[in-house]
Amino acid sequence: MTALLTIILSFIGALVCGLMPSSAHRRIRWVALAVAAAGLVVSMVCCVNYSETDGGFNKEDLVNEQWIQSLKIRFITGYDGISLPLLLVTGLVAVCGVLFSWNLEMRANQFYAFYFTLIGGVYGVFLSLDLFLLFVFYEIAVVPKYFLIAIWGGARRQFAAMKLVLYSFGGSALVLLGMLAVFFLAQDATSGKALETFSLLDLQQDGEVPREAQQWIFPLIFFGFAIMAGMWPFHTWAPTGHVAAPTAASMLLAGVVMKLGAYGCLRVAVGLLPLGAEAWAPWVAAVAIINIVYGALVALKQDDFKYVIGYSSVSHMGFVLLGIATLNLTGMTGAVLQMFSHGVIGALLFALVGTVIYSRTKTRMLDELHRLIDRMPAIAWVFVAAGLASMGLPGFSGFISELYVLIGTWESESLSGWIVAGAGAGILLTFGYTLVKIHEAFFRERNPSPDSQAETPYPPMTLPEKAGVALLLGSALLIGLCPWLLTDKISPSLKLMLD
Amino acid sequence: MDYQQLLLALLPDLLVVVALFAALGVDYSRMRGSRLAKRYEVACQISAAGLIGGLAVLVLQIGGTMPVMESTVDGQLVLNTGTLTLKALLYAMGLGVLPLAKRDQVTQQVSEYFALLLLATLGMGFVVTNRNLLGAFVALELVSLSLYAMTVLNQARRASAEAALKYLTFGAVASGFLLFGLSYLYGATGQLDLTQMTGLTDEPMLVLAYLLIFVGLGFKLALAPFHLWAPDVYQNAPTPVAGWIGSGSKIAAAALLLALLQPVFDSPKLKDSLVLALAALAVLSMVVGNLGALRQTNLKRLLAYSAIANAGYLLVGVVAFSAAGNTSVIFYILVYSLASLGAFGVVAVLTDTLGREAEINDFNGCWKTTPGLAAAFLVFVLSLAGIPPLAGFFGKFYLFFAAIGAAPEAAAWHDGFYWLVAFALIMSVVSLYYYLRVLKAFLVAPADYRAAIAPSKIGWAAGITLCSLALAVVALGLWPEPVLTLLGH
Repeated sequence: MTALLTIILSFIGALVCGLMPSSAHRRIRWVALAVAAAGLVVSMVCCVNYSETDGGFNKEDLVNEQWIQSLKIRFITGYDGISLPLLLVTGLVAVCGVLFSWNLEMRANQFYAFYFTLIGGVYGVFLSLDLFLLFVFYEIAVVPKYFLIAIWGGARRQFAAMKLVLYSFGGSALVLLGMLAVFFLAQDATSGKALETFSLLDLQQDGEVPREAQQWIFPLIFFGFAIMAGMWPFHTWAPTGHVAAPTAASMLLAGVVMKLGAYGCLRVAVGLLPLGAEAWAPWVAAVAIINIVYGALVALKQDDFKYVIGYSSVSHMGFVLLGIATLNLTGMTGAVLQMFSHGVIGALLFALVGTVIYSRTKTRMLDELHRLIDRMPAIAWVFVAAGLASMGLPGFSGFISELYVLIGTWESESLSGWIVAGAGAGILLTFGYTLVKIHEAFFRERNPSPDSQAETPYPPMTLPEKAGVALLLGSALLIGLCPWLLTDKISPSLKLMLD
Repeated sequence: MDYQQLLLALLPDLLVVVALFAALGVDYSRMRGSRLAKRYEVACQISAAGLIGGLAVLVLQIGGTMPVMESTVDGQLVLNTGTLTLKALLYAMGLGVLPLAKRDQVTQQVSEYFALLLLATLGMGFVVTNRNLLGAFVALELVSLSLYAMTVLNQARRASAEAALKYLTFGAVASGFLLFGLSYLYGATGQLDLTQMTGLTDEPMLVLAYLLIFVGLGFKLALAPFHLWAPDVYQNAPTPVAGWIGSGSKIAAAALLLALLQPVFDSPKLKDSLVLALAALAVLSMVVGNLGALRQTNLKRLLAYSAIANAGYLLVGVVAFSAAGNTSVIFYILVYSLASLGAFGVVAVLTDTLGREAEINDFNGCWKTTPGLAAAFLVFVLSLAGIPPLAGFFGKFYLFFAAIGAAPEAAAWHDGFYWLVAFALIMSVVSLYYYLRVLKAFLVAPADYRAAIAPSKIGWAAGITLCSLALAVVALGLWPEPVLTLLGH
């Protein structure tokens, strides 16, 4: 039951915040912080309690109840080493999202109602072990995004919100079709009888979908989920959505919502349809490389700071997809680790650009920023650290995860050398755009200087901002230095899934 | 036949009829010369008493404390848990329409308004419990005629009369088709009792009979291409009436469609020749409904197009021709009706007494002036759009589940109903665009001058109605099992 608390608390939090008057925004933000922190604490407790040495689902915390008997749908939740890092990152980003929206006043009650509905849905996806339940939570997570962006977003918010939601639902339509096919076509591996179950536990343990069916179900489910993970060429919702969203929402989008898609690809598509995955792996890898390289190239060309981060997300999610496409333990461990790593670092970058820097400079256009390194030195150095972390500097989690993915790609027999070369090029490009953009944003002098205000320093970081930065950067550093904290949990579970 | 038993079985209907005459009688005698508001009040109370009484008896009948006979000769009455539950739900929803009708005093003919509402409800109750060709047709006509008359009740509006005339003309033609089809069915089988029809072959006369039936019922369900009346009627009928047309009458028509198709279940050949027609109607309705809704600016018209689209989804469950398919269709039309009635209820409260035409822009800023109504509307529209955890999602899921479950072993993509489900899913994504556009007005748009016009008083009865509808939509989404079990019998 412990893990279920994350979901229950989030939904209760949504209800409580929604019912408070919006004039009480000071009280609301404390309630919100408490709810988000409670979610994080529960995830950490789950992490500590996780004791399965073989990588299976935690038996003490497995909920398995009848739900809708007529359709053989059960309510099953539980977690293993794959879900744990994602639960943690959700908790972290949720807390920091509140911290970086500390000054929000407009319709604060409704903001947090939608915010926690989204977070509850995200926790739900990571905990669901029944396909139907997973899908329900997956869709619950979509609708609040529309309102978060359309109400509290920036320029072009209506367009961005609608685009994001339609892309998400387009993806989930594919998933639903694939899911129904799995239900009816999965057979018992030994007796060959139809299983007719949505339970991931049963499907993974004794289920087997016929080979020919896997060939066409796999792309439905995988690409359906991958749309949410920002897969090229269906990635365009991500940059526009991220940019138009308010900071907390873009942190959630980059930090956890894109991971929902990747998690679905991993747990459902690859987990249930290994034969389909084998057949489609080269295609997935090719698309992943396009993601990495194309995302990096486009990021290099952007003038709007937030678009740079938006496209860097697309590029980084390419590593997740590439890791999944390797279909071996090393690569997939890297993929899960990259989900955690990008969740933390991506959220941090969006927080820095969307709130910390923007609230001071009132512009996000790179060519309007002037010598920020002198005018906001602390913030600038934090950003440089975050940028380096995102680039994959040793010592940060991004380095470990990308390394795992690259080694996995190298080891993989089905992927050609070109893929490794492409990934390598992608890493070089990442170095390139990160350094170039850091230079443009912080170290460049605009000439001539526009007005007398241009030299005055900006106010320092506030306490909530400092706390948020410390949490996110700290976790990236912690995992970068002690990756075994997560890999020891991820690898056994992946091994179990792959066997 | 034992008349005492018959009386017991029909006690709910009897109570409604008594209430109907009481409402008419009181209004024409004691209430003569009273204020209009007072007359509405009294007529509404009497009608509500009748429906509540009927509902109470129905609950006893379903629960088994008041056992009723299973069926009468010729299938004139088939009273099992499934049909009785459906009848009870129709009575409950009819009860919900009453306070909405009371709020907006569109006509001077007060008792007629409520009498017609009761008549329509009565007719729906008969349709769902009837398995006899003639009986069901008469009951369906009772529903239709009451609805035609109610559409025109707002004499101050010319458009209302025009819509009613359109409704009547189209409806009469459709009834002709339906009766024609039923007579062919009778001619081919020599049976009036649907429960006794067996061993149907695929002779042309039967195929023709069913095609004619599809035309007739397609009109009642607002399936494309028989949908042309719907947008005008939805827009121009008094809003509570439009809500009742869009919910109760749909349940009745869908139940009748399933009952008429029941004999086809065990004749695969006839089934094969009908599936294509049904699938074509489904595809056409989904396309016409969803694409038509995209460009509407009036909320009631938009809901009409959404009704057309939803009728299309409904047929996806019908083509399954399985027990699961039937349950899914009934469940879906039920949750659709709850959400649709709820949405019309919110629209009625926000427009009727305020002299608005329900343009989508009229609802800008509702989140500020009437947050409760905006929240309820969010629930109803998201359920119509099929977003979990609301009932609309589970309903749609069950339809698709049943359709694919009918023939899961598809060798090619056009085998089974994968293609139909895929099409329906794509169309649901399209539908999200216009549902969100409506929600944008309610929840996103800043409060402008329009938001200043808010109803001063919603009224407790209307409030309770909307609350219980919203709760029902949420509860049926979270835990549909009990209702599925009841309806599955």
